[in-house]
Amino acid sequence: MARRQNSFVRSFVPITIESTWIAVDMAAVREIGGPLTWIALPTASATLPGVAAWRGRAIAVADLAAVLGSGERLTAPTGRVRTLYLQQGASTLAVPVDAVREPLTVSDSDVRAPRVRTESFCTGELDVEGHTTLVVNLGVLLDAHRPAVASGLH
Amino acid sequence: MVHVDDPRARWSVSASEVIRIVAAADWSGGAPIDVLAALGHAPRARSLRVVIARGERGRELPLLGVGALAVGDVDPTSVLPLPLLLATRTPQVSAIIAAADGSLSLLIEPSAVLFPSDSVAGEELCPSHS
Repeated sequence: MARRQNSFVRSFVPITIESTWIAVDMAAVREIGGPLTWIALPTASATLPGVAAWRGRAIAVADLAAVLGSGERLTAPTGRVRTLYLQQGASTLAVPVDAVREPLTVSDSDVRAPRVRTESFCTGELDVEGHTTLVVNLGVLLDAHRPAVASGLH
Repeated sequence: MVHVDDPRARWSVSASEVIRIVAAADWSGGAPIDVLAALGHAPRARSLRVVIARGERGRELPLLGVGALAVGDVDPTSVLPLPLLLATRTPQVSAIIAAADGSLSLLIEPSAVLFPSDSVAGEELCPSHS
């Protein structure tokens, strides 16, 4: 987070899943790519339903439609039109999305408390191109999946 | 590596873990295990072949071989261990194999595949006193 004229500024990448607008912290974005090829591991979890190869390693695939509880779930072996590769702590996630918008930098005061969704992964809301946009922290999701023994994380 | 091009998801098992492959009609043991169904895919009742792998404690593990089978070498660098986030929930899969054409295959760990008749962990430690 940077400071500008006595107020903090934050950078986000707005994305969409069907009609839902979401903003993820720009600092977490490692890469934005095209459609993802992945393989399903349905017993893993609904929110992390499979695995993909990226930069010579296997990474978990996150289904934001399952996270949000709305929209069509991912179906292997293809994803959505775009893929965000996010770094969350020691873990990297592939997140298929329908669209990626222009990154934006906003003042901290432009991010208001979440009203539309109150789950722990929703950390705020802001307006992007006239749409109420959820600010999400996918690291919260990973905490629920992380094994008790924190060794050997990929 | 033995590859099974199952239409639900491609899977593979190390050739060193495969004892033999037989036609389903020639298999007279117990019902073959649908390893993908155990991973949450839609179950399949039958196949043309049975892949007999070396399971836990050296037991013969019959796996349903749905789809075309192939045997081939794999570049070790294309074998990518599962991230811990997923590995703890799917011990039957040790890695994915990323082929040069971009396709992916699940590398099955036979010793972690349970027989349907296996008892739930801990049951053996609690014998009935009746």
